[in-house]
Amino acid sequence: MTVSAESSGDLPEAAVRRLGEGAFTSGLTVPDFAACLQMGLEPVGFTQGYCVMNWRFSISAPYGVGFNGQRRPRGYSETFSCPHGMVGGEHRIWGQNYEQAWVEDAWTTGFTTAYGRMLEEAASAGAHGVVGVIDSSGPLAELGVVEFRVQGTAVRVIDGAPPFRDKPWSTYLAGQRLAKLVEAGYAPVAVVASVASVSVWASCVTQYLSEGSNSLYGGTTPGAEITQVVQAQTMARQIATRRARDQLGPDSLHGATMTTTPRPRGEGDSEVECVLRGNRVRRFKGFDPTPPPRPTVRLL
Amino acid sequence: MTAGDPLDGPDAPTVDITAEMRAAARALASLPESSSGQMTSDLSIDEELVLHSIGWEPVALVSGVSIHSVPRGVWNWGQGEIAYASAAYARSFAHATQRIEEQCTRTGGHGVVGVRVEWSVDRHHVDVALTGTAVRPVGATGTGRDPVFASDLSGRDFALLHNAGWAPLGLAARASFVYAPRRSMGATMKQSGQNVELTNFTEAMYAAREAAMERMQASAIALGGSGVVEVKVTEGPMEFAHHAVCFTAYGTVVRLVAGEHRHPGARMILPMDDPAPAFDASSLRGG
Repeated sequence: MTVSAESSGDLPEAAVRRLGEGAFTSGLTVPDFAACLQMGLEPVGFTQGYCVMNWRFSISAPYGVGFNGQRRPRGYSETFSCPHGMVGGEHRIWGQNYEQAWVEDAWTTGFTTAYGRMLEEAASAGAHGVVGVIDSSGPLAELGVVEFRVQGTAVRVIDGAPPFRDKPWSTYLAGQRLAKLVEAGYAPVAVVASVASVSVWASCVTQYLSEGSNSLYGGTTPGAEITQVVQAQTMARQIATRRARDQLGPDSLHGATMTTTPRPRGEGDSEVECVLRGNRVRRFKGFDPTPPPRPTVRLL
Repeated sequence: MTAGDPLDGPDAPTVDITAEMRAAARALASLPESSSGQMTSDLSIDEELVLHSIGWEPVALVSGVSIHSVPRGVWNWGQGEIAYASAAYARSFAHATQRIEEQCTRTGGHGVVGVRVEWSVDRHHVDVALTGTAVRPVGATGTGRDPVFASDLSGRDFALLHNAGWAPLGLAARASFVYAPRRSMGATMKQSGQNVELTNFTEAMYAAREAAMERMQASAIALGGSGVVEVKVTEGPMEFAHHAVCFTAYGTVVRLVAGEHRHPGARMILPMDDPAPAFDASSLRGG
């Protein structure tokens, strides 16, 4: 394998040297490696992309928070009014659900930058695709910093056509699962990840219900549904799904995983983050009905 | 082995996977052609293939959420069932199920399979979130004849159930939270330092179990089902109130829709890939 100077982009010099050394590296297990060879996929190199982002969540105020002018609401926003009116200084006379665009932008920038770097490395090595992608993110020490990591094994389709505009395709799948995907008539296009973050600035009713208390002024039913929080969680899921759909074009999303993390902030306030990951796939041949598999029972 | 040998399985369709991969690469070498529409799914490729084998296909990823408040003070020591908490669980589950089914209908699905159930009981609220994939018969348009169902069965289990002539009708879920009554001073003194059964806890557990299971069964009957499969139960004291015990149960309601149950006709197989015995280095040292 060779890495040409013009194709190496801004890869570190050591990476260019390593990728051109002649032996391949791979993060595949042996069964996955064997399955790839069976499919005519030749491993090219174990590719990685990293991005470290400075990370600041919002503070609990519904509008215009922040000091750098970037923290303005965008997208989903919904007001929950108080049924009691002005009854006291401590009383929350309104509540607001709002999308935390700055959190979403930071996450998206971190992920897409790390992902793009991995693809760049794969493209520099002459790969057609990246299989067995693994991505993760987490705090780096306690510095208010989040590291995004994306890695996978770059492969080349032996005697196969190069990808569109030489941008490698990618998939979370590898091995027999990938073989079955292709056999079923789907081509892997790209990994898809989207995020939505919604903050709940609790109204008085939400605060009372979240704390299990009763309002002195009426307007809440003990044991009632906490609609503001339900709406925030529902919208986070819908926004993440819509964003993933926006990345699909005419293709489909397969093997998706939706992870929703609520973070209470006290007094009924909270925020919810929803991350959706999956494989964008394209149908390249007509639907062949699969013969019914035969049920079996293992004797051991 | 000769042809027609009973130990020889059915001929697997011959697929040149290398040629298929090259065809896939060709499809990725150009801009995509327009497609009939997007599909989103959290099913694995195995589940999707099994679904296709019974003539069903995934349509969209759907979800439903509900959170109900639990009033302050209900976890304080008392007697009998903690009705507010039991009702909050039932209502949260019912509303989340209703929402995922409504979303399924909007996306053109006839039911939801592989529903992932996430629930938690906090001191002041009960949260339920359901996520799954809406499915429909291949090529079907509009709503089906039967009501939309939500099921936590996997694609594989749904296909097995379908082939056996049964159909899922929905999720049944109930819980019961019961106080373990205080022991009298005399009983406490008598039992201290002895290994004896704490009947107050055992009885509370039984009371919770009977109430939850009975209600779950009743909700299954209300759905028109003849049984519940894959019932998952949890039981134990509440983390934040050890004197209260909880029993939860949920599963998929099913009904026989074919004339009679069809036996799936499973073939027994004898795997010959036993793991190799692990090498124990200490045996070389006489250990």
